[in-house]
Amino acid sequence: MIFEFFADLLGSQILSAIIIAALPLVFIILYVLLANWLERKVSAHMQDRLGPMRVGWHGWLQPIADMIKILQKEDIVAKDADRKLFSAAPVLVFVGCYAAFAAIPFSSAFVGADLELGLLYILAVSSIVVAGILMAGWASNNKYALIGAVRSAAQIISYEIPTVFIILCIIIVSGTLNLTTLSEQQSGTFLNWYILGGDVEGWKKFALIPFMFIGFIVMYISSVAESNRTPFDLPEAESELVAGYHTEYSGMKFAMYLFAEYANMFVVSALVVAMFLGGYQSPFGYVGDLINVPWLIPIEQFFWFTVKGLFFVFVQMWLRWTLPRLRVDQLMALCWKYLIPIAFVNLLIISFLMIL
Amino acid sequence: MNLYDFIFYFFAALTIVSAFFVVTTKNIIYAAFNLLLTFFGVAGIYVLLGADFLAIVQLIIYVGGILILMLFGVMLTNKITNVQIKTEASFVIPASIGVGLFAGVLIAILLKTEWRNSPADIPISTLVPIGKLLMEEWAFVFILLGVLLLIALIGAASIARKE
Amino acid sequence: MQEYFRNIWQGLSTVLTGMKITFKHLFVPAVTIQYPDVKVPLPERVRNRLYVNMDDCIGCDQCARVCPVNCITIETVKSVPGEDLGKTSNGKKKALWVTQFEIDIAKCCYCQLCVFPCPTECIYMTDVYEFSELERENLNFNFVTLSKEEILQKKENYAKLEAEKAAQKAAAAKPAVANPEQKPTDN
Repeated sequence: MIFEFFADLLGSQILSAIIIAALPLVFIILYVLLANWLERKVSAHMQDRLGPMRVGWHGWLQPIADMIKILQKEDIVAKDADRKLFSAAPVLVFVGCYAAFAAIPFSSAFVGADLELGLLYILAVSSIVVAGILMAGWASNNKYALIGAVRSAAQIISYEIPTVFIILCIIIVSGTLNLTTLSEQQSGTFLNWYILGGDVEGWKKFALIPFMFIGFIVMYISSVAESNRTPFDLPEAESELVAGYHTEYSGMKFAMYLFAEYANMFVVSALVVAMFLGGYQSPFGYVGDLINVPWLIPIEQFFWFTVKGLFFVFVQMWLRWTLPRLRVDQLMALCWKYLIPIAFVNLLIISFLMIL
Repeated sequence: MNLYDFIFYFFAALTIVSAFFVVTTKNIIYAAFNLLLTFFGVAGIYVLLGADFLAIVQLIIYVGGILILMLFGVMLTNKITNVQIKTEASFVIPASIGVGLFAGVLIAILLKTEWRNSPADIPISTLVPIGKLLMEEWAFVFILLGVLLLIALIGAASIARKE
Repeated sequence: MQEYFRNIWQGLSTVLTGMKITFKHLFVPAVTIQYPDVKVPLPERVRNRLYVNMDDCIGCDQCARVCPVNCITIETVKSVPGEDLGKTSNGKKKALWVTQFEIDIAKCCYCQLCVFPCPTECIYMTDVYEFSELERENLNFNFVTLSKEEILQKKENYAKLEAEKAAQKAAAAKPAVANPEQKPTDN
């Protein structure tokens, strides 16, 4: 929809495609600035501190000040690092996260690419991130970076399995992989969200609720693990690995990792929102419908999607400042002994319910 | 040359150049990361052919699975902190004979096949037809393959056990 | 099997308990303060930077002698007769010009020993604790109120007096042979 709007406005499809591709970048930058500030404030207040207070009201300009600072930093490449791969790795990591934004339905009018395979596409491009992290770890020629990278790859690959199982549950219930269709199926009120059984008819809806809830929790845990956040932050565990795979990076390259991490947080939250919590749909209905202004609805949808996404980003921060880091064996036990069997049984039960 | 052709040649060039580097480079890590580009280029070509499901599966399985596993293996088995893992060209004559035969077969197929030459249209998702084919027409083969993979998995697990 | 489910339940419930606690702390007022704007109230008897009220100082040198780290340097010049140096606030008459009164606060160990012997209570510890400097020399605080010219003049005056006295002595030395009981008077 937004593509046609720009194509009509500019008369050029290529130009409008470029604009559509750039819009998520604008969103990422604004969101990262906000999330960075939020992370500091949330962490500070949860520890009874104040956090940044100097730059602007309650320090809200602090991320911008940091951005300016980081732009001026020297770009250091270690002497024994592999120069080519060292420079390519942050780009690859960022590209992986940025590419995922193409399929995220921000509102019914603003979807970068309305892919039929949106859910799988996000999984696929996030595997590029793994390759980028491994590349960074190897190219740094640093044992901490390498250990961090290998841990990260092992972790992301392991936690992709429960994620895929839960995605399969959703596919069985909804019959689609398209994130926009998924959101459209959950329209109306929050009773139609898939976490509450979706738009399935009759008693099945109520039978589905507990299993959808389990699926939601499993999905959220594994998505937190996939974005390398505490309590699953072994790849960048600052107390043991300095900073993990981005130990050797500085300046703008480091900033790209920062951007990628925060963007990834939003991607996994957006995935959870799109699958279980109605996507861009409002929980109560739209003001645009009430006062009969149709163009207001997409803006409201964008608002709701961002709010839901940011809420789950907030929950990730909340978890980060609540839980200590897991040990490697605990991490793997959680995935292989708990999440995967639960997700698998969940999948079986949901498919059985849907056959009935 | 329209945009479609341009994108096609871009992906084709990416695939061929990176594949060339995979074969010629002496550093295994470089080869692996060039393989990433090759897989990516092939996925791009799949998308241009309208085979979206195949493209995504290509990324998930080859990039997310096999490539990472390869890198993992290289990183865990060798002294990687200094670049010592290098490959040398060996068995040049048998390899060239094998490759020559394989190339001959490929070229023969390429020339003999009657390529369907239809104008490019807006690609429709292949997801539903593929699913229908797998679950209805080829269900038996599909299940058989699943059982085969399961056997391989159990075998790997039992080999990896300590006792 | 039972333990498996108990583990799941424990894992989830403990995470939720922890999250509840951290969420409560989100609204607890911060225990930290905005330091340069807001300061922690200091205890009544804090010992921080030394200060000398030069109006009261009589140049008795007791603080310098008691200092365990020798961070106080005092130099005095006797006043000439006729000069009025004023009185201290507790009524003591001043008799010495203080030409040098330096406290090297970098050396100071904040023991407060210098404060007790002071007869006029003019040296004391303040609650000023922010006096960091980039140069170490800047920590050598000078409390002298006299200007350089004045100091020179005082010294000259005293030297003159001494010279005069020496001359008197020399003059008196001859009669002193005749009259040995006579003692020279001071000042």
